[in-house]
Amino acid sequence: MARPVAVDTVSAAVLPLAAVRPHPLRRFARRYPLGAAGTFLIVAMLLLGIFANRVAPYDPVAADFGAMFIRPGPGHWFGTDAFGRDVLSRLLFGARTALVIGFASSIIGATIGAVVGVISAYFGGTTDLVLQRLVDILISFPIIILAMAIVAILGTGTINLIVAIALSFIPRAERVVRASALAIRATVYVEAARAIGAGHWRIIFRHMFPNVGAPYLVMLTAFLGQAILLEASLSFLGLGVSEPTPAWGLMLSGAAVNFARQAPWMAVFPGLAISIAVLAFNVLGDALRDALDPRLRT
Amino acid sequence: MSRYVVTRFLLMIPTLLAVAVLIFLLVRVVPGDIVELRLVSGGTYVTKDVIQAERARLGLNKPIWNQFVDWMVGLVRLDFGVSMWSGDKITHEIAIRLQLSLELAILATIIATVLAIPLGTLAAVRRGTWIDQAVQLFSVAGLAVPSFWLGILMILFFLTYFDWLPPLTFTPLWKNPAANLAQLIWPALAVGYRYSAVAARMTRSAMLEVLREDYIRTAWSKGLNQPVILWRHALRNALLPVTTVIGLEFAFLIGGLVVTEQVFNLNGIGKLIVDAISHRDYTLIQGLMLLVAAGYILANFIVDIVYAWLDPRISYG
Repeated sequence: MARPVAVDTVSAAVLPLAAVRPHPLRRFARRYPLGAAGTFLIVAMLLLGIFANRVAPYDPVAADFGAMFIRPGPGHWFGTDAFGRDVLSRLLFGARTALVIGFASSIIGATIGAVVGVISAYFGGTTDLVLQRLVDILISFPIIILAMAIVAILGTGTINLIVAIALSFIPRAERVVRASALAIRATVYVEAARAIGAGHWRIIFRHMFPNVGAPYLVMLTAFLGQAILLEASLSFLGLGVSEPTPAWGLMLSGAAVNFARQAPWMAVFPGLAISIAVLAFNVLGDALRDALDPRLRT
Repeated sequence: MSRYVVTRFLLMIPTLLAVAVLIFLLVRVVPGDIVELRLVSGGTYVTKDVIQAERARLGLNKPIWNQFVDWMVGLVRLDFGVSMWSGDKITHEIAIRLQLSLELAILATIIATVLAIPLGTLAAVRRGTWIDQAVQLFSVAGLAVPSFWLGILMILFFLTYFDWLPPLTFTPLWKNPAANLAQLIWPALAVGYRYSAVAARMTRSAMLEVLREDYIRTAWSKGLNQPVILWRHALRNALLPVTTVIGLEFAFLIGGLVVTEQVFNLNGIGKLIVDAISHRDYTLIQGLMLLVAAGYILANFIVDIVYAWLDPRISYG
């Protein structure tokens, strides 16, 4: 749990000795260099995505048929594609797509899942039983199949993709959080809260929900990596973001074999971008898990 | 034990039934049905009567509950019905693809197990050394690199240097084993890498936990040699969680390789699901989703049984 960190911040505020104690974030970076590297990459990606319109050298959607299949070089660092569009610019705007979909779907999915998980653990009995059977059912599909089915119902597009990925995360988030919430429900402070007459919802949101913060955060970072992979896969299949929106998975679809001889770079760079993004979230997730709760190791 | 197996087995039935209800409703929420898709989207003018007749032929004009009962009655008799799109029997449609998907899943599992267990064990035994770090890097990268992109890179490489493209048709194992393996080994490797990364991480952390146990220290102090301690005492205990991961991943591989199959031109279960959804082929989607879910639930069941069997401490009433 978060206790060791909390104790440190308290002593840092109270004791004069604390001056030699490094900032918690700096300690995290020293102890988990990989996690720090992941954080750095994520921040870099966020900045590049937010300022894509300033950083990108070219327009990501405007076709330029005079500049098709230009090799990577000084004019176009990562080359151009079949429509003469600059691959680097499309990658930068693609980061925006990936991160918007990744963050939105993970936060929505993890939060709804966490709330349902805590409710399930708190009320127990029939509520818990019904919710658990429901989760059992939803969990018995591979995540990509579930997301595909939801996209088929809602249609493609950014918002629908976010909803589809978020919905597929809910049962998984519910499972993880319910497990931790069961332990919290048995603690003395929940009993005390009930003894002084706190209502169900007050206990759930003021006492239990904040205490599943550690598994929630670890899960959220894991979901972020998964969401980016899912978005890329669905866009690759034509079930996600649609042309001409720049998205990494979309850039890979068709490019691989159709233009392999003329323009292999079209298939290499977007995949690299996906891998680096997922890697960054995964190593940050691992470091967070080790730092917050070693028992969460899966 | 046998009572546990039976109750656990019977408990799968209500879950599957609920899954069936969910699939049935989910499919019917998808906008547009197969009749519209096939007759109207062609651009030709069709009268309402023709559409009605076609719907009646496929049984789509019956009330929803009636359609569901029809499907259930068929399922009990192991009759999955016919595909609304091709008119073929669902069992036949699935059977020809299942062959490929199953073989691919088995190959990938072999690759993953052969890589993951030695690597994970080695990393745990040599904890903190460069070997451990190399294995961790291997698995962290394996989780991040999308399998389908790895497949694309393979194709790119073979195309440039050997002028090889994935064949358009599938060669069954018994017809020509060499051609079959040449076709499936690359997708199996592409998928197996991620799979082995998952399993290697599990093996490493499970081994680390077991190596801290008292009985391992006892084994060392008895003077047993390292191979005996590692293989007989440590690994056997560490394999429990690894089995879970392998079992569940295997179930996932049967229907979940939607994208990799696309990349390698493989006509497996994943591709069939994509096609069925885009055709609004209700009967086929139902059959497929039920199969995938049943595979998952069955894998969970088998994992639980194997758990109980491998670990005599676990007793189930």
